[in-house]
Amino acid sequence: MRIWNFAKRNFKELIRDPLSIIFAIVLPAFLLFIFQQFDIPNDSYKIENFTPGIIIFGFSFITLFTAMLISKDRTTSLLVRLGISPMRSVEYILGYMLSIIPLIIIQNILLFILAIILGLNFSVNIIYAIVISIVVAILFIAIGIIIGSIFTEKASSGISSIIVQLVCFTSGMYFPRELLGKTFSKVCEYLPFESCVTIIKGIMNNNLEIISTRNIVIFCTYTSAILVISIITFKRNMVSDNK
Amino acid sequence: MLAIETKNLTKVFKDRTAVNGIDLKINEGELFALLGTNGAGKTTTIKMLSTLIFPSSGEIKIEGLDIIKDRQKIKKIINVSPQETAIAQNLSVKENLEFMAGVYEIQNKNKKINELVKMFNLEGVLNQRAKTLSGGWQRKVSIAIALINDPKILFLDEPTLGLDVIARKELWNIIEKLKGQITIILTTHYLEEAESLSDRIGIMSKGNLIDVGTTEELIKKTNTNNFEDAFVKIVTGGEL
Repeated sequence: MRIWNFAKRNFKELIRDPLSIIFAIVLPAFLLFIFQQFDIPNDSYKIENFTPGIIIFGFSFITLFTAMLISKDRTTSLLVRLGISPMRSVEYILGYMLSIIPLIIIQNILLFILAIILGLNFSVNIIYAIVISIVVAILFIAIGIIIGSIFTEKASSGISSIIVQLVCFTSGMYFPRELLGKTFSKVCEYLPFESCVTIIKGIMNNNLEIISTRNIVIFCTYTSAILVISIITFKRNMVSDNK
Repeated sequence: MLAIETKNLTKVFKDRTAVNGIDLKINEGELFALLGTNGAGKTTTIKMLSTLIFPSSGEIKIEGLDIIKDRQKIKKIINVSPQETAIAQNLSVKENLEFMAGVYEIQNKNKKINELVKMFNLEGVLNQRAKTLSGGWQRKVSIAIALINDPKILFLDEPTLGLDVIARKELWNIIEKLKGQITIILTTHYLEEAESLSDRIGIMSKGNLIDVGTTEELIKKTNTNNFEDAFVKIVTGGEL
């Protein structure tokens, strides 16, 4: 019950900040719309390829909101008040995660509706893609928890924007990573963002062959490692803030 | 019965001893003020007493419960109003009260909230978002929230810091009303606040609890005319 109670509070905090809505939904929707207005001779910009990239791009803002929410809770001492209460660390983490999931679902549904209006064929695979994207979003929420647990509110927004840029440049959403040269392409291959886009793309287009074992291993490894690190960092910094 | 008892309570941070073996006894229903200059160790002491950080050594008993073994039980019977107001800024006053009632899993939630609204005269600001409230109102809400679980012990950390005279007097009246009903541990930099509100005062310096007593006792002991002089004499060892 405490988890739901905390998640409800976090959700209210998020949706009452208009910037969250603008960055999480309006900006990705605008980019999806605008890039479909040009006839760019590159497969990356075809609606069936570009939509998954935009979904993951939207998730990078989820990292930003999570980080800012947690860092704000630290600076306003709300976490001190809660630290004295009977709430346990796992209840905080799950409370933060659960509060973001409705935002992810709303974001996905609106972006897919726009994609369908712009020419994406509707199929049941879109529903599957939405479900899987919730799992993928855990990675982005966990990154946000780490940033929010370490940095101040101001620094959190700056650090999170690095994640936004990393997603843009390394996920292959705007251009194939091979265009960036051998070394950078290799780096992108071992970062999780391209795998995230590929997994959503494969499911959404019912083209599971494009999802390689490497994509699954990289995604699962990063997500589980970052999740564990986020729990440890949050617990440790909640205490160290109070030293 | 003792509300709080510490024996040789110590907290060491790497190479710095923040709290150095203090023995403290606070009675049930007492309003105990903890005073000291910056870095005296009072905040660290409060954090240990309120389960926020673990002591390096020594013992703490809260209402007879051990701070290490009975941590979860203790958390249910204490509460705090931190120095920063620690309220959810985008939630209304009512939502803040409901949220904290949920955290403590209060059974008769609405009854308790109505009681606090009445006690703190929150009717007029109930649906207002916390971030739009003045400093004085935010403090009131912060203390109201801290009473949501009917705590046996309430920690008030600098409750009137930065408030104007009127807002401060209003909060003093509220704290006066709570006196005797629950045990209150108050930290403050305002000597007149400690003098006016507390039953006893503990003075800390460089991690040590150097004196404890009523204001009258401390004035008499130091052979001074007022509490401010007594405090300065105790903290400086009579050098000033």
